[in-house]
Amino acid sequence: MEKKSASIMQKEATLKSPGDGPSRLAPPLKQLQQWLRASGISGQLLCLVLVAVVFTAGTQGKFLSWANIQVILNLAAIPAIIAIGLHQVVVLGGIDLSAEGVVALCVVVVGLLAHNQFNSNNVGIWIVPITLALGGATGLVNGLLNTKLRIPSFITTLGMSWVLWGLAVFVSKGQTIPLVDNPLSGLINGSIFGIPNLALVALALLIAVQLAQDRTRFGRYLYAIGGDEVLSGQAGVKVDRIKIIVFTIAGMFYGLSALFLAVKLNSAQAITGNNLLFPAITAVAVGGVALTGGIGGAKNAALGALIVTALNDGLILVDVNPYAQEAVNGVVLVIAVALTIDRKKLGFIK
Amino acid sequence: MQETKSGSPTKELVLELRRITKSYPGVIALDGVNLAIYGNEIVGLVGENGAGKSTLMKILIGNVQPDQGSYQIHGQAVRLTDPAHAIHLGVGMVFQEGSLIPNLSIMENLFLCHETEFERFGVLSRKAMREAARTALTTVKVLEDLDTPVADTSPAVRQMVEIARLLWLSRLYRQKNPVLILDEPTTVLTEQERETLFSILHEITKQASIILISHRLQEIVENSDRIVVLKDGKNVTDFSSENASIPEIEHLMVGHTFSADRYRENEQVEQVEPGQEAVIKVENLSKKQKFEPISFTVGAGEILSLVGLVGSGKEALCRCISGLEKPDSGSVTVGGKRVTAGSPSEAVRSGVGHVPVDRRNEGLALGMTVADNLNLLVLDRLKTARLMSPIREKRNALDWIQECRIKTPSPSTLCANLSGGNQQKVVIAKWLTSQVSFLVLDHPTRGVDVGAKEEIYRLIRKLASDGVGMIVMCDTLEEDIGLCSRMLIMKDGRLVREIDCPPFRKPSPSEIIGSIV
Repeated sequence: MEKKSASIMQKEATLKSPGDGPSRLAPPLKQLQQWLRASGISGQLLCLVLVAVVFTAGTQGKFLSWANIQVILNLAAIPAIIAIGLHQVVVLGGIDLSAEGVVALCVVVVGLLAHNQFNSNNVGIWIVPITLALGGATGLVNGLLNTKLRIPSFITTLGMSWVLWGLAVFVSKGQTIPLVDNPLSGLINGSIFGIPNLALVALALLIAVQLAQDRTRFGRYLYAIGGDEVLSGQAGVKVDRIKIIVFTIAGMFYGLSALFLAVKLNSAQAITGNNLLFPAITAVAVGGVALTGGIGGAKNAALGALIVTALNDGLILVDVNPYAQEAVNGVVLVIAVALTIDRKKLGFIK
Repeated sequence: MQETKSGSPTKELVLELRRITKSYPGVIALDGVNLAIYGNEIVGLVGENGAGKSTLMKILIGNVQPDQGSYQIHGQAVRLTDPAHAIHLGVGMVFQEGSLIPNLSIMENLFLCHETEFERFGVLSRKAMREAARTALTTVKVLEDLDTPVADTSPAVRQMVEIARLLWLSRLYRQKNPVLILDEPTTVLTEQERETLFSILHEITKQASIILISHRLQEIVENSDRIVVLKDGKNVTDFSSENASIPEIEHLMVGHTFSADRYRENEQVEQVEPGQEAVIKVENLSKKQKFEPISFTVGAGEILSLVGLVGSGKEALCRCISGLEKPDSGSVTVGGKRVTAGSPSEAVRSGVGHVPVDRRNEGLALGMTVADNLNLLVLDRLKTARLMSPIREKRNALDWIQECRIKTPSPSTLCANLSGGNQQKVVIAKWLTSQVSFLVLDHPTRGVDVGAKEEIYRLIRKLASDGVGMIVMCDTLEEDIGLCSRMLIMKDGRLVREIDCPPFRKPSPSEIIGSIV
């Protein structure tokens, strides 16, 4: 018996945990190091620094000028918002490819319902809840198809994207709808202390979602399902309900992005939705959200969007051929997935 | 009624199963089983594979509903709907494979789905969770960082976290004397961890009762107050472990007579002459942490049975032979030719077949027809003018369906729609068509009803009389003895004993079981 307690004591000494409340004596640098390791974004921050260093050197400092940083923040905001919506589905272990279709339809609806040159509608500020509801409804349908009919999210959302895109072109008759005096335009195009408001909105959403992920039951269940759906169900997690909610939230984020895009461009057309999905998925992967589910949060998605945007901005500044830029994006996506994916979880690679 | 080690004869009855019966198509898993668990005791539950232990446990935690019988907790009859319901009533189980979510931290796993306690205005209080987690974990002496993802912890820690979770939940739901079921808890532990586990379990009996399932009789006898033996879905006995001896328990687990003709012993191929050319020669095959260098041969028509507990290394050995896993060293020679290690396609080409235990995933293409599965290995033979000939395909399939008595409406029925026994016949028939010279049969009669079992024995004898050498791993020791002409016993990755089993002069299970456990 004595021997046993001795061995336990020994274990106590060796297993003393590093992150169990950082030791107060540790120098700040060490604390920072610990925090970075625990946060799961150290690699991404390093990546961002690397991009900054390379392009700052390549552009004689122009890359890090305040004007360019503003440009990056402004450009990164929309992909970040879409990525924050999308990554939650990825954390569940699914994928959501419906962003482009949802944005296309929502943009067109904004064009037709807000004050525009096409018809006499003007719902004013009500356009905000309307787009959120419309985006949410598309997500709800995705979620129901995925959980109740048990169609893989990949197909559900891809199909949904094309349905909505077709609908958007049909409703808008393929035309561009110019907006008139939108009440949101001041807010969306403005800035506070030089920081674009859109970037601040993205930041607010990031904080809200991250908080929900870390500090609510809903967030914990999200990760539990991503870790092991069957075991979570056995433990009592209402798997289907959470999935439907997550798809719905993702749809609302796309709806919001659509509204911002329409107001920013001061016109609405279906093709506004084009080319939004690839950067968002790249952002999610680069940010360190594993496509196998269960790992990575809103901060990862947003940081990923920032890295991808900064990279593209840098490539433009150093005058790389635009086609080569697209190829670089593809390479970045594949490398990011290769680094984050949990191969043990995938039985077969299809 | 029962005396316990601590000596108080009138302990409170916590949980009682009476005359529980459960049958599945073709098998009676449990037949009038009684089980009573008293407060603050450890009950050892032993029995061979297939004795009904796992079904009994599933009934205890509400995963399976009994066909007949009563289930009472604290004197109240209950009808459990699911494991969550069982937890509310203070009955929980630590599964062999674990039920923690790998990417969540220790703390998150502890409270998963029961976090309402820690919610303040919808936000979880980390501080409160930490405090509760620390208290919960001190009982089981886990000192890991609470934020460590479970995937990064050792099996011992995971087990303790599960135990702590069950204890915490029983407190949460105000269950005074919870019952914890531990399924083979020591198989994944080191010697020292095993000691720690039992010292903790004895500590826990102050507030709970424990049902301990284990194949290691030594630890059952040393640590439990009472021992319950199950055999063929029936209670054999229930006795205090104070004066229990291991041979006695072994006898209770397996002791009975069995009929020689069930396994078609008269068809058993007579012992091959020593020196005659072996079908397969395994030399110094080894795989780190699975099994140590091992050498043996199997002759034509010989059935070699490989016996050992889970973790004895026999599964890994078979997977190495059939190329599904790559051994670290050694060689496998088939028909005088060395087989490249770790390549299933190379193994098949050399004439090594494998009937896996998990036939639904590994043995069959369930979504394909019976004919397609049967023809899979002989496609080259069914061609005319370099193209597949549907007529020859159908003819070949029909021949084998008849030969192996596969009960299927037609050759174009999907394998998914066949019964387990008939699926297994398809798997074996597939190897019969391809003229293998050596076959690994991994639990060939698992989950198969009695009638189909006999058919499978017949096929195995047929393979043997055609000169195919075989390794079998069976569900019960009796089946192993009945089928094999020679038996190898493995324990902890080593070959410990070799026994000849000539027809009609077979050893009895109780002579052998001592070397296994």
